[in-house]
Amino acid sequence: MVGSLLRALRSPRVLLAVVMVAVIAICAAFAGFLAPHDPAEQNLLSILTPPAWQPGGDQNFPLGTDSLGRDVLSRLIYGARTAMLVAVFASLGAMIIGAILAHIAGYFGGVVDWIIGRLVDVWMSFPPVIFSLILMVGLGVGLDRVILAIVLVDWTRFCRVLRSEVLIVRRHDYVAAARLLGFTHWQTIVREVLPATLPLLITLFSLEMAIAVVVEAILSFIGLGVGPNQAAWGQMIADARQYVYQSPWNLLLPIFAIFFAVAAFNLLGDGLRRTLDVRLAETGH
Amino acid sequence: MCGLPKPGISTVLALEARDLTISARIGAAAVPAIRGLSFKLAPGKILGLVGESGAGKTMVGRAIAQLLPRGFSVTAGSLFFEGDDLLKMPPARRRALLGRAIAFIPQAPMTALNPVVNIGAQFNEHLAPLGLKSRKARRDHAIAMLTAARLPHAADLLNQYPHQLSGGMCQRVLIALAFAGNPRLVVADEPTTALDVTMHPPILRLITEMQRQHGTAVIFITHDLRLAAQLCDDVIVMYAGRAVESGPARTVLATPAHPYTRCLQLASPAMSAARRALYVLPDQMPSLMQLQQIAGCHFAPRCPLVTAECRRDEPPQVAVTADHTAACIRTNASRNVESKQQPTDVPALSGGQLLHVEGLSKRYVMNRGLFDQSRTIDAVKDVTFTIAKNEFVALVGESGSGKSTVAKLLVGLEQPSAGRIVFDGADLSAPSGHGGAARAERLQMVFQDPQSALNPRRRVASIVTQAMEAGSRHASAEERLERTRELLAEVGMPPDIAMRLPGQLSGGQRQRINIARALCRVPRVLIADEIVSGLDVSIQAQLLNLLARLRVELGFAMLFISHDLSVVRHLCSRVLVMYRGEIVEHGPVEQVFAHPQHPHTRALLSSVPPDEADKPWPLLLAN
Repeated sequence: MVGSLLRALRSPRVLLAVVMVAVIAICAAFAGFLAPHDPAEQNLLSILTPPAWQPGGDQNFPLGTDSLGRDVLSRLIYGARTAMLVAVFASLGAMIIGAILAHIAGYFGGVVDWIIGRLVDVWMSFPPVIFSLILMVGLGVGLDRVILAIVLVDWTRFCRVLRSEVLIVRRHDYVAAARLLGFTHWQTIVREVLPATLPLLITLFSLEMAIAVVVEAILSFIGLGVGPNQAAWGQMIADARQYVYQSPWNLLLPIFAIFFAVAAFNLLGDGLRRTLDVRLAETGH
Repeated sequence: MCGLPKPGISTVLALEARDLTISARIGAAAVPAIRGLSFKLAPGKILGLVGESGAGKTMVGRAIAQLLPRGFSVTAGSLFFEGDDLLKMPPARRRALLGRAIAFIPQAPMTALNPVVNIGAQFNEHLAPLGLKSRKARRDHAIAMLTAARLPHAADLLNQYPHQLSGGMCQRVLIALAFAGNPRLVVADEPTTALDVTMHPPILRLITEMQRQHGTAVIFITHDLRLAAQLCDDVIVMYAGRAVESGPARTVLATPAHPYTRCLQLASPAMSAARRALYVLPDQMPSLMQLQQIAGCHFAPRCPLVTAECRRDEPPQVAVTADHTAACIRTNASRNVESKQQPTDVPALSGGQLLHVEGLSKRYVMNRGLFDQSRTIDAVKDVTFTIAKNEFVALVGESGSGKSTVAKLLVGLEQPSAGRIVFDGADLSAPSGHGGAARAERLQMVFQDPQSALNPRRRVASIVTQAMEAGSRHASAEERLERTRELLAEVGMPPDIAMRLPGQLSGGQRQRINIARALCRVPRVLIADEIVSGLDVSIQAQLLNLLARLRVELGFAMLFISHDLSVVRHLCSRVLVMYRGEIVEHGPVEQVFAHPQHPHTRALLSSVPPDEADKPWPLLLAN
C-alpha cells in the first residue's frame, strides 16, 4: 500500500496535485506566521484598497483590503485553515461512517444489506444542500457544526460506492478461504476485504475533500457556516458582493482560492484512482 | 508436409505458411513469439495446431485475421491463402476475404455473440455482404444453416437472444455462422474448451460434418493431443513458438519423434491402459523474455535427451518418414523416453471410515416477487457417501450437477437444508458454538481458481501460514517462517519464493501455494474443487504426482471434484457420479469405468477421446 502510494507520486498529475494541496496545507498550518495582519483587524482609514500592483495600492496590504479595511491576504490564508479543517475532518467522519456500513452491508449481504441499502436510499432522497441548510439551522453556526453537517449528509456517498466494491471483493475465493482457516468475520473484513477496498477509499476521501470545501463555502456564503469572527472564503465572497464594481479583486481572489483547492483535491483523487485502481492498471498494460 | 499435392496434379493450397515469424516488441528488442513456421494445408483437410498455453498456437489464427495483439507483428515470412499473400494484399481485399472465404470459430461462445442483438439479426448482418439480396433469402439461408447445425426450432431461434441459449447452443450458432458463407478456410480456436465435457463430442462432430459437406479446410487449435489425433488429418506440435513436430495426426500420436510430444503423451493420464506414473517435465514453458536467453533448442532446458549440441545449435527439421518431421537431432531416442518414477503405491486403507455424509440436501428458494409462487431448486438431493482414512474419492459430473455445492456444504460455507455430516464420530452439521473452528482443523478446501483464491496483496509466506493468525492465535514471526519453509518444501517449491506476491507466480506455482495453505494445519480430509482443470498437461502431471506423494507423507483423505475422467482414474480409487444434484452411480473407479450403469456415466465416459491413435472414437463417427 505504501509502495503503491509512493509509485503514485511518479505520475505528474498526482505530483502537481500534491504540491497544490501542500500549498493550502502550509497556509492552514502556519497561518499565524504567514499572514501579515490579524484577519479580523479593521483599518477603517483604508477600506477597499486595491491590490498593491494597482494604482492606489498600498504595500502594507499586498492583496488590498475589504469594506471594513481587513487585509484580504490574511483573510485568504486564515480562510485556508477553515477550509482545510472542514475538508479533512468532515471527509474523515463521512468516510468512517460510510466505510463501516458499506463493509457490513457488502460482507454480510441479505437482510443487513437490504436495511443499510434502504437507509442510504432514503437519506440520499433529501437534496444535499437543503439538507445541510436545515441541519445548520438546527445545529447553529460554528466550525464543528459545519463538519457535523457535512458528515451527516455525505456518508452515503462512501457507503454506496464502497458497498459495490466490497461485493466484488467478497466474491473472491480468498475471502471464503480465510473463513475456512478459522478467521472470524471481523478478522476477515479487516485483513482480507479492507486492504482491497483501501485504494478506492483513499480516492473517495480525496474527492470528498473537494466537495467539503465547496459545501463549507456555500454555508459560509449564506452566513450559516463558521462564526462571524472566523475567516472563511464563502464569507469573503458574500462581503465582496456589494462592492463588486469598486473592487472586483475582493470577489475574484476568494473565488480563485476555492477553485484552487477544489482543483487540487479533484486532481489528487483522479490521479490516485488512476494509479491505485487495480482494474485500470490491468487494462492499461 | 501436410497434404502435399501429388506431382502432376495442380492443386491450389487453402493455406500455406512459409517461414512465418511473428515478433513481440519488448522494450527495444523484437522477440519472436512464432519462429519460422511453415505448413501447407490442402483444401478439405484439417490441420491441428497442438501445444500448451504460451506455445503460440493462437497467434497463427490471429495472423490470418491480422488481429495480432498490441506490440506483436509479422516480421518475416508469408502466409498464402489460395496463392495470395494475406500479409501483403491491400487491407480492403483481406477484409473482403474474412468472414466469407475465411471464417472463425471462437473459444468462448458465450461472449462471441453480441448480447443485445438477436440471432436472426446477427445472421442478417453476416449474410448481407455475401450477396443474398432479399431479407427472405437471408432468413431462409439462416434457418437452413441452423437446421444443419442440428439446432431444433431454427425459425424460433432467430428471435432469441444469446443469453437465452446454453453454451453448447451458442457454439452451434457460431459454427452455423462460420459455415454460412461457404468458406474455404475455417480457423477453430479451442472450440470446446469453454464447454461441458459431454458437449465436446457433438460439437466436434458438427464441425467435421460441416467441414466434409462444404469441403472446407480447417485449422484446429487445441491443447489435447489425443483429440487432435482423432479429428485432424495432420498435426503440428508447437513448443515456445516453434513447430517441434509435424506429420499425419495418427502417426504423430502413435510414434512421437520429438521428446516434447513423447513427454506430453506420457504426462497425460491414460483412460484404458494400466495405471502408470505420469511423466513429469520439470519447470514450465519459457516465457518470451526467457526465450532470449536460450541459445539452442527451445526445449533443451527441460528435455530428458539433451546433449551439449542441443544447447548450442537450433535443431533442424529432421524427416522421420516422408511426411513426418521433428525438430530434433535425437528423434530415434524419443520413443525410449519413459516415466522414471515408479507409480506411487496406494497405501493400504486402514479401513475405518473418516467422513460419513448422510442424506445431504441443499434447496434454494427463489422468491419471484410478491404474488408469484416462490420456486425451489434442489442443488443437492439426498447425497450419501463415506470416505475412509487416506482414501481419495472422486466426485464427477458436468457443470451444474451440484459438485461444488457439496464441497461448500462439507466445509461449512453453505448450510445444508437436511442431512448429516459425521466426521470421525462427531456430527459437524449439528449447530454448536465452535463448529467452524473444529471443522477448520479437520477439513480444508483447495479452491479451483488460484487467481481468485490467493489474496493478491499477501506474500506467499503470509498466505501459506494464514491459518496461524486465525482466531485468537498469534504465532510469532519465526514460527510462521519456519512453517512456511516446511510447507514450501512439502509442495516442492524453493524457499526464496516466500516473499513473492501471487501475481509474480505462474499458474502452476499458484496452485501449489493454494494447496500448501490448505495443508498448514494438516487436515484429515482435503476437498479439492477442480484443482487441475485449466492447467497445462505438464503442470497437471506435476500436481497429480505432488498429491500422490503428499498422501503418503501426510496421510490425508481427499474428495477430488473433477470433470476430467482420465485424471480421476489416475488419482482416485473410488468415484461418485453426480447428475442433477443426485449421486447416480458410485463404486470403485475401475469397475464404474469398465461397466457404467447410468446413462450419464456412459455419456461422460464416451466424451473422452481414446488413448490409442488407431482406435476410433465412436462419438465422432456416429450420426
